[in-house]
Amino acid sequence: MLISVFFAIGALFLVLQTTLFHQLPGWIGSPDLLFLLIVFVALHLDLFKGAVIALLLGLIMDIFAGIFLGVYPLTYLLLFFLLKLILRHLALTDLIHQVVLALAGFLFASGVIYITVAVLAPESPPAWSWATMLLQMLILAVVCIPFFHLLQSLPALLAERRDKPFLSFKRRSGNRFRG
Amino acid sequence: MRKRGKRARQAKALLLFGLILTLVLILIVSTVGRQEFNAPHKLALEVIGTAQIGVTRLSAYFGGIWQDYRALINVREENRKLREEIRAHKAAATQYREAVATNVRLGKLLELKETLPPPTLTARIIGKDPSLWFKTVIIDRGSSDGVEKGMPVVTVEGIVGQVMNTSPHYAKILLANDPNSAVDVIVQKNRIQGIIKGDGTDFILHYVLRNSEVSEGDLVVTSGLGGVFPKGLPVGRVARVVHSPRGMFQAITVEPAADFAQLEHVLIIMKKSSLAE
Repeated sequence: MLISVFFAIGALFLVLQTTLFHQLPGWIGSPDLLFLLIVFVALHLDLFKGAVIALLLGLIMDIFAGIFLGVYPLTYLLLFFLLKLILRHLALTDLIHQVVLALAGFLFASGVIYITVAVLAPESPPAWSWATMLLQMLILAVVCIPFFHLLQSLPALLAERRDKPFLSFKRRSGNRFRG
Repeated sequence: MRKRGKRARQAKALLLFGLILTLVLILIVSTVGRQEFNAPHKLALEVIGTAQIGVTRLSAYFGGIWQDYRALINVREENRKLREEIRAHKAAATQYREAVATNVRLGKLLELKETLPPPTLTARIIGKDPSLWFKTVIIDRGSSDGVEKGMPVVTVEGIVGQVMNTSPHYAKILLANDPNSAVDVIVQKNRIQGIIKGDGTDFILHYVLRNSEVSEGDLVVTSGLGGVFPKGLPVGRVARVVHSPRGMFQAITVEPAADFAQLEHVLIIMKKSSLAE
């Protein structure tokens, strides 16, 4: 259930990133919501479910971005396991620490994509621009806090939903005057 | 009893995990090995492509409403200006009418001389690459429309790119300004040959010798040698030429003829090319 919900959210973010975000003015920038979702998954979900979600999101990202199939599943899985490793040794419960973790994760993911593409196509490596990187990190830092806040309410919402039947009908008593 | 049940649950979970892991590994190995879209990829492209169409249409609709609203502001001033413009245009129109009539006659003559162009297909861009690293777009035409891997994609302004992957109703295009794209070109005025590669925004013209005369503003067109793009399609104009003291070649930047940021509709030239081979 949780995996399919997060997968659906990821697919929705992908659709937004590939359509609406490109129509926004350039100075607003386009935040990588899918990346933030992976970070959130690493922070809050267990190893098995998180890895499956990271892999699935990597696979659909592969279809809409990039030219080498397999780059995004690899990147997202490595990112997920790295974040899990860090979280096992450091108690990063404050939101501000999680923002720093997300930014470090973004640099790591960008590095993995850059190195992978450079290895796959050594004659035309992608252009690394620190200005673009810093701008994207700034956008992520701004978006990160409300994004995490919003998603944090999701597991509780799902747990609450699970306890209740999908549609609940009030059973009427035989006496119509008893309400 | 309880312990046995727990063990059985653990064994089941382990079995399920192992099964999923095996399937995923098979999927990854088959995908990475062939570098082609498999059935789940195609299915995902079909589903998400449909969602992309919906969001694109919705945003166009609301964008239209917003533009209509903005158009109402200062409409009186604009109206006055337009009336003045109409007066000026009416005077010019009589002159143009004669020119257009001449143009139509000459155009028809030219059409007789030209051979029929290869069949083309119009497509709409429904999604753009969200990453910082690659330049690709998704179009609303796929293999069911006859689109195949390697087909060249152009606009009225110039070349756009090539078809990379297809699903029945959608296709992914590698834009010409991606670093992994390469197009054989010539400088139109003196037929100097080179290869255009993308740098993310502009083109870089490679393999032009230092003694070749290339200057800013020169038009660069496709050479037709790569076997992908037909000969003579506009690629861009030379924006900067740097004669480095070392090396055999010049460093030439070309401004693309097509505006990649504003792409909405493209034409696919329906012919097979070397990329497919």
